[in-house]
Amino acid sequence: MDRLIELIPLSYTDSVVLIGAVILGVAAGVLGAFAVLRQRSLVGDALSHAALPGVCVAFIATGAKDAVTLAVGAAVVGVIAAGLILVIERTGRIRPDAAIGVVLTGFFSLGIVMLTFLGNFNNSSQAGLDTYLFGQAAGLLVSDLTVMGLLCAASLGLVAVAFRPLKVALFDLSFAGSVGLPVRLLELAMTAMLVIAIVIGVRTVGAILMVAMLIVPTVTARQLTSRLSTLLVVAGIAGAVVGSAGSLISTGAGIPTGPVIVLVGFVVAMSAILLAPGRGVVWKAHRVTSERRRALNEGVLIDLETALQSGPPPTVGQLASLSGRPPAGLRRALRNLDRAGVLRRDGDRIALSATGTAAVQTLLDRRELWSAWLENGWRIELPDAGEPDPRDLRASLGDDLTDELLAFSRGGPGE
Amino acid sequence: MSDAALDRLGGVGAAAPALEIRRLTASYSSSPALWDVDALIPSGTLAAIVGPNGAGKSTLLKAAVGLIQPDAGHVLIEGRPAREALDRVAYVPQRDEVDWDFPVTVREVVEMGRYRSAGWISRLRKADHLHVEQALAKVRMTSFAGRQIGELSGGQRQRVFIARALAQDAPVMMLDEPFSGVDVRTEASLLGLLSEIRRTGRTVIVVHHDIGTVRSHFDWALLLNVRTIACGPVQESLSPEALRRAYGGLAGEEGNGEVVWIG
Amino acid sequence: MSDDLTIILTAGLLGTACGLLGPFLVLRRQVLLSDAVAHAVLPGIVLVYILFGSRASLPVILGAGLFAVICVIGIEQIRATGLVKADAATGLVFPTLFALGVIGVTTFASGVHLDLDSTIYGDIAFTPFRTWELFGTEMARSLPLLAAVTVGNMAMLVLLWKELKASTFDPVFSKVNGISPELVSRILLIAVAVTAVTAFESVGAILVVTMLIVPAATAHLLTVRLLPLVAVSVIVGWISAVGGYGSAVALDASIAGAMGLVATICFSLAFLLSPRYGIITRAVRHQRKISPVLSPGLQPVSRAGDASGSEDVSG
Repeated sequence: MDRLIELIPLSYTDSVVLIGAVILGVAAGVLGAFAVLRQRSLVGDALSHAALPGVCVAFIATGAKDAVTLAVGAAVVGVIAAGLILVIERTGRIRPDAAIGVVLTGFFSLGIVMLTFLGNFNNSSQAGLDTYLFGQAAGLLVSDLTVMGLLCAASLGLVAVAFRPLKVALFDLSFAGSVGLPVRLLELAMTAMLVIAIVIGVRTVGAILMVAMLIVPTVTARQLTSRLSTLLVVAGIAGAVVGSAGSLISTGAGIPTGPVIVLVGFVVAMSAILLAPGRGVVWKAHRVTSERRRALNEGVLIDLETALQSGPPPTVGQLASLSGRPPAGLRRALRNLDRAGVLRRDGDRIALSATGTAAVQTLLDRRELWSAWLENGWRIELPDAGEPDPRDLRASLGDDLTDELLAFSRGGPGE
Repeated sequence: MSDAALDRLGGVGAAAPALEIRRLTASYSSSPALWDVDALIPSGTLAAIVGPNGAGKSTLLKAAVGLIQPDAGHVLIEGRPAREALDRVAYVPQRDEVDWDFPVTVREVVEMGRYRSAGWISRLRKADHLHVEQALAKVRMTSFAGRQIGELSGGQRQRVFIARALAQDAPVMMLDEPFSGVDVRTEASLLGLLSEIRRTGRTVIVVHHDIGTVRSHFDWALLLNVRTIACGPVQESLSPEALRRAYGGLAGEEGNGEVVWIG
Repeated sequence: MSDDLTIILTAGLLGTACGLLGPFLVLRRQVLLSDAVAHAVLPGIVLVYILFGSRASLPVILGAGLFAVICVIGIEQIRATGLVKADAATGLVFPTLFALGVIGVTTFASGVHLDLDSTIYGDIAFTPFRTWELFGTEMARSLPLLAAVTVGNMAMLVLLWKELKASTFDPVFSKVNGISPELVSRILLIAVAVTAVTAFESVGAILVVTMLIVPAATAHLLTVRLLPLVAVSVIVGWISAVGGYGSAVALDASIAGAMGLVATICFSLAFLLSPRYGIITRAVRHQRKISPVLSPGLQPVSRAGDASGSEDVSG
C-alpha cells in the first residue's frame, strides 16, 4: 500500500484520501447496485445511520478503536438493522418506507444515547466515533485503506462468483425460489454487500451522505447500459471517478471531502439522466415534441384533404371550423406544412401542392395499412415476435408481408 | 333527490351530447394508444366503451377527464371543452389505483363526492350530508356506512365508489373497468344499479370488455381498437362485422353467425 | 418554570406538532421524504446566515422552506423522468442539498455558532437558557416558537382535513375533482420543513425526524380510523417526551436520543402486542400458522383487485 501511495504525485495525506475515495467509489458503486436495482436504496440510508450504534457497541465491547473492530461492529449491527426492516415490513401493516424510517431513527437514537453515554467517561473517544456522522476523510490511515481494500476485493469476488444466482434473485425473487435457489441466503448476501459498502464508505463520507454514494454510480450506469454485468462494471468505474474527482477537488480547495464527492456524484448522475443517448431527458423531450408536431401536421393535412374532397379549397377559418381544432394549433401546423412545401396558397384559400398530394397519399396509404393491420394483422405470420411500428408498417413488415396484409383486408372476409 | 331535479341537471333531451371526442390522438412512448378517435355519446344513455386489450379504452377516459395530455384532438363534455366542464363529470377510477388500507369509513369516502362543490377548506353543509345519505341508500350501503373501506368486498367497494359518484350530482358518470375482479352475481347487480342511475336521466359511460353484457344491458357502444371501429346504438355498432374488425382473430364464429368471445 | 418542565414541554410540543403531520406522511408513503426534507433544509439555514448574517427565526424558516420546496420538486422531477425510481431520486437529492449545507457551514460560516453537531443531535438540554422576554416573563423561546408551529399545523389539519383525506386516499379522484394531490403534498411537506427548522435549534434534526415517523407508525399499528390515528400519534409523542427525559437524566445521556429510543420502544411494543396487528397477538390468535405471515413479498391486503369477499384487513 505504501508503494502505491508513493506512486501518486500528491502529498501523503492527500494520496491516502484519494485511494480511500476510489475504493469507496468502486465498492459503493458495484455493491450499491444490488440495493438500487431492487428499489431499496434507502435501506442503505438506514444502515448507514445504524453504523453509529454499531461502532459504539464495538467500542464498548472491546475498548478498541481500530478500524477492523469498529468495522465489525458496524457490520453486525447493520445486518441486524436490515433484518429488522424486513421483519417489520413483511408483517403487513407497516409499509417499507415507514419500516426503514423507524429502524433508521431508532438505531440512530440508540447511537446518540451510546455516544453521549460514552462521552461522559472519555471525551476523546466520543470525538473519534463522531466522525462517523459527517465523515472525515483526512483521518484515514494506511491501515484503514488496507482493511477497506480487502473488504472491497472480497465482496467483489463474491459478486463475481455468485453473479448468476444474484442476477436471478435481483430480477425475480419468486422465480429464484421456484428454481431452487437459496432465496434467503441470496437476500442475506445482497444485504451483507450493502452493509460492506457502507462500512467501507461511512468513515469517509459520513452516515448522512453515504446513501448518495450507493445510488449515484448505479443511476449513472443504468442510463448508459442495459446489461447487468456491464452495469456493475460501469457503476464501479463511475464510483471510482466520482470518488477520485471529489477527493482531488476537496483536497485542492480545502473543503470537506464527503460533501464534495456527493456533489460531484450528483452532477455526474444528473448529466447521465439528462444526456444519456436514446434515453436521457433531453432526447426524450425532443422526441415527444416532434411526435406531437407530427401528429398535428398529419392531422391537419388529412383535414385539408377531407375538405378538398367535399368542396373548394377552404380558408383557414373554414378549415378551423371544419376540423374543430383550436386555431393556434391549426395555424402552427399550416406554417409547418408551408415550410415543407406541401401547401399551395390560392389567395386566402389553401390547397395541396403536387408534393402535398403525394404526401397525403402516403399518409392515407399508411393509415389504410394500419387499419388493415389492426383488423387482419393476426392472420400474418411474422418471422419473429417483433411488433412492427404502426406508423410505417411497410418499412417494418417488408413489401411481401405488406401485400399479403392488404390482400386480406381488401379481398378477405374482412370487408 | 327527485328525478325531476336530476332531469334538470341534463337528462335525455339536453341538446349537446354528453361526450364528444374529435380526432383524439394520444400515445405512450412510441406506439399510439389512440389514433384520430372520433366518438359521440348522446345524453341520457348507458354507454359502453368496448374493445380488446390495449385498445386505449382507459386512455380515452383519462384523456376525457384531463388526467393525460393528448397529442392532438379534443374532448367536449356537454358541448363545452372538457377542462371547463369537469364539474359535470363524476369519474370512477380503476380500483387498483386506490389505497384500500387508508383509514376512512364508507361514509367519508362518499362525502368526498361533495368536495368539489364544497371547495377548498370549507366544510360540508347539511345539504351535502343529505346527498351523501341518499347516495348511500341508492347503492344499498347505508348499513355499512361506518365500516373502514378496506373491510369491504370488491363489489361493495365498487358500490361505495358509485355512491361517491352519485353524491357528486354530475350528469355524466364515467367508470373505468368497474367490474374487474368482481363475481358474476355482483356484476349483475352493479349493472342493475347503473341502469337505475341511467333511468334518473344521467349519462353513464362504462369502460367494459364483456360484449355479452354490453348487448343485454347497454344502449350505446363505442367500439374501439386504437381508432374508432364503430360508435352508435348497440345493435348497430356491435355488428358481427365491426366486432371482427375490432377483435380480429379472437372473434370466432358460431354456426348461426353469432360472434363468440374467446378473449 | 423549572428547567425540567421546560425541556419536557418543548419536546411535548414538538411531539404534538410532528404527531399531527406524521400520520399523513405514513399514509402517503412519504415517511422518507420527511427525512429528506429535514436534511435538505440545512443549506437554507446556511444561506440565510451567509446572506444576512442572521439566525433570526423568520428568515431562517423562509430560507429553509425554500430548500424544502427545492428538495421536493427536485425529487418529483427526477422521478418524473421515469429513468430513476422514487427511492433513488430521494437518495440522490437530499444528500446533495445536505452536502451543500455542510460545505457552506465549513467554508463560510465556520467559527460562528452554526454548529453541525447541534443541528443533528440538537441540544435540548440548553433550551431553558435561551430565553425570550414575553408578556413580562422570561421564558424559553423554544416554547412560544414550537407552540406557534403546533397551532399552525393544527390549523392546517383543520382547514385541509378533507383535502388531505381525499388526496391521500384516492389521488386520481381528487385530481379530477379539483384537489391537486401535488399541491396538498407540497403544503404538507412545507409544514414538515417549517416544523423541522423551528425545532432544529432546540432539539436537532434527528429528534424531529423521529417524532414525525415513529409515533405515527406506532399509531398506524393501533387504529384503523383517521382521527384516532392522529390522536394516538400525538400521545406517543408525549410519552416519548416524558419517558425520554426521565431516562436521559437517569442515564446521563443525550435527551434527544433517549426520547427517540422511548418512541422506538413504543413502536416495538405496538408491533409485538397491538390488539389487531401485533405479531405476538396474531400468533396467539391463529397459533398454528405464523409462517405465511412472514413469507416473502408484501401481503396482498392493501392491494385492490382481489376477488370480492376475500379481503380482510386483519389478514
